[in-house]
Amino acid sequence: MGDVVELRPRAREDFTSVIGMMIALGAWAMMFGALFFMYAGMRSHALMWPPPGVPRLPIGLPALNTAVLLASSGAFSLGLRSLRKGERRALSAWLAAAAALGTTFLALQVVVWRDVWASGLQPSTGAYGSVFYGLTALHAVHVAAGILVILLVLVRSLLGKYTEHNVMPVRLPGMFWHFVDAVWVLMFVSLYLL
Amino acid sequence: MEQHIHPEPKAFIWKYVFSIDHKVIAKQFLWTGLMFLALGGTLAMMIRWQWAYPKTAVPVVGALFLSHTGGAITPPTYTSIFTMHGLIMIFWAITPILIGAFGNFCIPLMIGARDMAFPKLNMYSYWMFFASSVLVILSFTSQLGAASAGWTTYPPLSTNVGAPGWGQTYMALAIFATGVSTIMGGINYIVTVIRYRAPGMTWFRLPLTIWGMWLTAILNVLFVPVLGSAALLLSLDRLAGTHFFVAGAAVGIQGGDPMLFQHLFWIFGHPEVYILILPVWGIVGDILSFFSRKPAFWYKGSVFAMIAVTVLSAVVYGHHMYQTGMAPLLGLGFEMLTLAISVPAVVLFVNWLNTIWKGSLRLEVPMLFALGMVFVFGAGGLTGLLLGTISTDIYLHDTMYVVGHFHLTMAAASFLGSFSALYFWFPKMYGKQMDQNLGKVHFWGSVVFITLVFGGQLVAGYSGQHRRLFEPYQYTYIRHLAPLNRWTSFAAFALGATQLIFVVNFIKSILMGKKAEQNPWHVSTLEWTHCASPPIYHNFDIVPTVVRGAHEYADPAVKKKFGRDYLDQVEPGLSAVDEDSSAGMPEPEAIGAE
Amino acid sequence: MTARRLLRAVTGLAMGAGALLTAPFAFAAAPQPGSGYGLPVDVSAEGHRIDWLIGVTNVLTGILFVLMLGWILYAAIGHNEKRHVAAHDHGDSRKSIFLVLGIAGSIFFVVDGNLFFNSTTDLEEVFHNFDKVEKDPATIRVEINAHQWAWDTRSAGPDGKFNTKDDIVSLNDIKIPVDTPVIFEVASTDVLHAFNLPNFRAKVDAVPGQINRFWTQGKTVGEYEIGCAQHCGTNHYKMKGVITVLSKEDYARWAKEASENSARLFDENDKDAHWGWDWKGN
Repeated sequence: MGDVVELRPRAREDFTSVIGMMIALGAWAMMFGALFFMYAGMRSHALMWPPPGVPRLPIGLPALNTAVLLASSGAFSLGLRSLRKGERRALSAWLAAAAALGTTFLALQVVVWRDVWASGLQPSTGAYGSVFYGLTALHAVHVAAGILVILLVLVRSLLGKYTEHNVMPVRLPGMFWHFVDAVWVLMFVSLYLL
Repeated sequence: MEQHIHPEPKAFIWKYVFSIDHKVIAKQFLWTGLMFLALGGTLAMMIRWQWAYPKTAVPVVGALFLSHTGGAITPPTYTSIFTMHGLIMIFWAITPILIGAFGNFCIPLMIGARDMAFPKLNMYSYWMFFASSVLVILSFTSQLGAASAGWTTYPPLSTNVGAPGWGQTYMALAIFATGVSTIMGGINYIVTVIRYRAPGMTWFRLPLTIWGMWLTAILNVLFVPVLGSAALLLSLDRLAGTHFFVAGAAVGIQGGDPMLFQHLFWIFGHPEVYILILPVWGIVGDILSFFSRKPAFWYKGSVFAMIAVTVLSAVVYGHHMYQTGMAPLLGLGFEMLTLAISVPAVVLFVNWLNTIWKGSLRLEVPMLFALGMVFVFGAGGLTGLLLGTISTDIYLHDTMYVVGHFHLTMAAASFLGSFSALYFWFPKMYGKQMDQNLGKVHFWGSVVFITLVFGGQLVAGYSGQHRRLFEPYQYTYIRHLAPLNRWTSFAAFALGATQLIFVVNFIKSILMGKKAEQNPWHVSTLEWTHCASPPIYHNFDIVPTVVRGAHEYADPAVKKKFGRDYLDQVEPGLSAVDEDSSAGMPEPEAIGAE
Repeated sequence: MTARRLLRAVTGLAMGAGALLTAPFAFAAAPQPGSGYGLPVDVSAEGHRIDWLIGVTNVLTGILFVLMLGWILYAAIGHNEKRHVAAHDHGDSRKSIFLVLGIAGSIFFVVDGNLFFNSTTDLEEVFHNFDKVEKDPATIRVEINAHQWAWDTRSAGPDGKFNTKDDIVSLNDIKIPVDTPVIFEVASTDVLHAFNLPNFRAKVDAVPGQINRFWTQGKTVGEYEIGCAQHCGTNHYKMKGVITVLSKEDYARWAKEASENSARLFDENDKDAHWGWDWKGN
């Protein structure tokens, strides 16, 4: 089968997987939505938030971390754009950057947890500690999973599995990665700033 | 849209174990679901035994599993039994049978697709479900007993405060795992219906079964993640020492809020009851039409009613929480929306009744089960009115009346609907006929005893009996209900015994049933008219082009021209000038000859 | 309101069927065993509102149930393939649609409408109308603290304040005067419970970290059972108590004695015993 003949069915199949991914991310959004619902419920019942006597959360490092994760998302986007232009080596480079930035995010997150823990806020410190550690940990699990997926894509990219006619295996993980990013922005704003 | 034809695998492991064929996965879900149905049913029998003969040795099961107490049920064991009964029946019996098995089997065949949109995801969905099943079994084996906080798993009882030990933790994780499996399945169902309908299969030509499955899949994908969240947070409370749901003396003023779990639970939980009934509505809508030999009455009305219920189901969950100190105005809003559900529900119901009215009813086994489902669902729906209303719910909330109500709607209706589907599609699944006489005995036993069991529960609850009581007769004011409970138990045992007839029939038919024809029921949907029994690996060699809806029956002109009382979804029918264009289609069977 | 009274009068006959099932209640010194199938005897001043609404709805849904069953049976037999040729009707004519919507609409307006209207008025005027009861000088106030598996109860003594030396405290045992409103505030220390007074048609969940309330008024002297309606662990089935409706004189005598007893047994250092809270009120 020639390339021209194959292109159209592939485009249709691609569209199918994009719909599938969007629905999957919708389900994921409902899961995080439920977490935020729980958090909002807790805050609306609390007389004071943060409750009296609870150590304050840092802002600087988490803000930097937000930038790191956004940069990682950006790197992924640029990688996808390179692939679409047929620049396969650039794709590998951008993917490596995205994975590295994601790992940096996790490392900084561990530092934040350590600092907060040392300042006396622990998961068992009532609702406030539960919300802080629970939400950030569940998000971190998604980041870790995302990094693994990016590394997998990176390996396959180095093996030359992707061409400009076959961007979907890169685009779908990218959708997930941007989603994890967007959730983080919501978390950063609602946990640290509000 | 045309799908690729994958080569059929030859090795046993790829063909029957890690298969990506939706028909094989359907059977895997069916078998696992039936096993758990038997397990959940046994647990139900144990509850009934305890209420009939409190604190005496349970026959057979007691000797096997409760030897340390001489076979009798103790209060902690009892709490585990009813908790596991509820969870297993909902998540590991009805869900896999109805949605896992029939969703998987029917969707591609009925819409004219060669497989699901994502066959591998489909396989992962089953094996995720299998993993969750293992966690359920582990829960039974854990040292402090299986989960015991009720199927609703309300904290703080379900946290370490009320239920220490691994039994409850395993179940929280199992719920999460089975939720993931359900979501994977749901994504597949939604996308398959959107993308892989056969040419000409427009939305309003879809069989009602597909509408039911599709709407259920949407609810699953939207609301099971909320349950997943709740299960995760509960697991964190149990394992990581967080305090999301623990409040009161245990944690002081900075504690969490147990009510938040209830909100999350019922945001999921109310759609869940529609998740379990929407496929049944669809299946029954089709089967009533097929076996009345009459078009489904106001097909579009049924579809819109199902859509309306799907939407409303998302905004009524508060009626489970009227007695939790909910703000009166909020309660009123939930009450209004809850009562509003009766409009689409009645539309659907009247459509069913009108479908069988002036039909030409063939009372074969699938039809009997479908009629039985209409009956028990009607009874269950009517009893729900008193529970959806705040003031009457004050008295009835948390009584056996609630238990009777939801068993009629969610358990009995889903149960009868599932069996209707099983008897109907069995010839297509296995290529064999089931024994119709045994099937009829199974039906009459099931429907009569179901009515007696859940009717008995309604009466007991109406007279004031609380649910989940190890020994109800501790209370003086309901002590006189002991004979009623005992008779209800007898009916339950009879209901259990009736199911053995099905087991015999099922196994016998698979092993040595008569070979089934391609279209033994003479119905009009694609899986019967264009697939062999059982279908080939990729279902359709040539994907047919659909020209009409699924319920074209009883047209006198058709009868005159073709000698049968239906048109399938593909043949040109009356408008066609050239009759040869129907070549390549199965020979019209001479139905008028009977 | 007159329309509603009329409706009540009309359906009074139907209610009789339910009432017949419930044997007359004999007064005795211990909770009486019930008899027959039907709602347990109602001893509250306002419970009849709930009973009435349940009764009316049962009649209406009973009619629908019989119609449905009759319809199915008639179709199964009369329109069987042996006797009837199917009509070619897709049910999408204007007439059919109006028929279906008409049935759905009528059921909604009559059955659901009746439920919604009466439930809402009853709640607004009576069951949720705490203003009136809080203002009534005769009102008795009781705090209930649920824990696995018993009900701690407390009412303010002569000083009218909760959590003081003269509080009347007891376990699984509540005494209230007849024909007097009583407000209950209910909380829990450990897991969820539900404080249920079946004979008063009253019930509310006991939730840790939250105070829920309801009010009721006894009309018949006697002893009745308190139950826990929410699964609360192994001994949920044993979590019961007794509520006694006393004549006003008996109650006054008992309250004085109980308060003095409590004051005598008061232990400043027993922190767990001082679980009471300031009355939450409106």
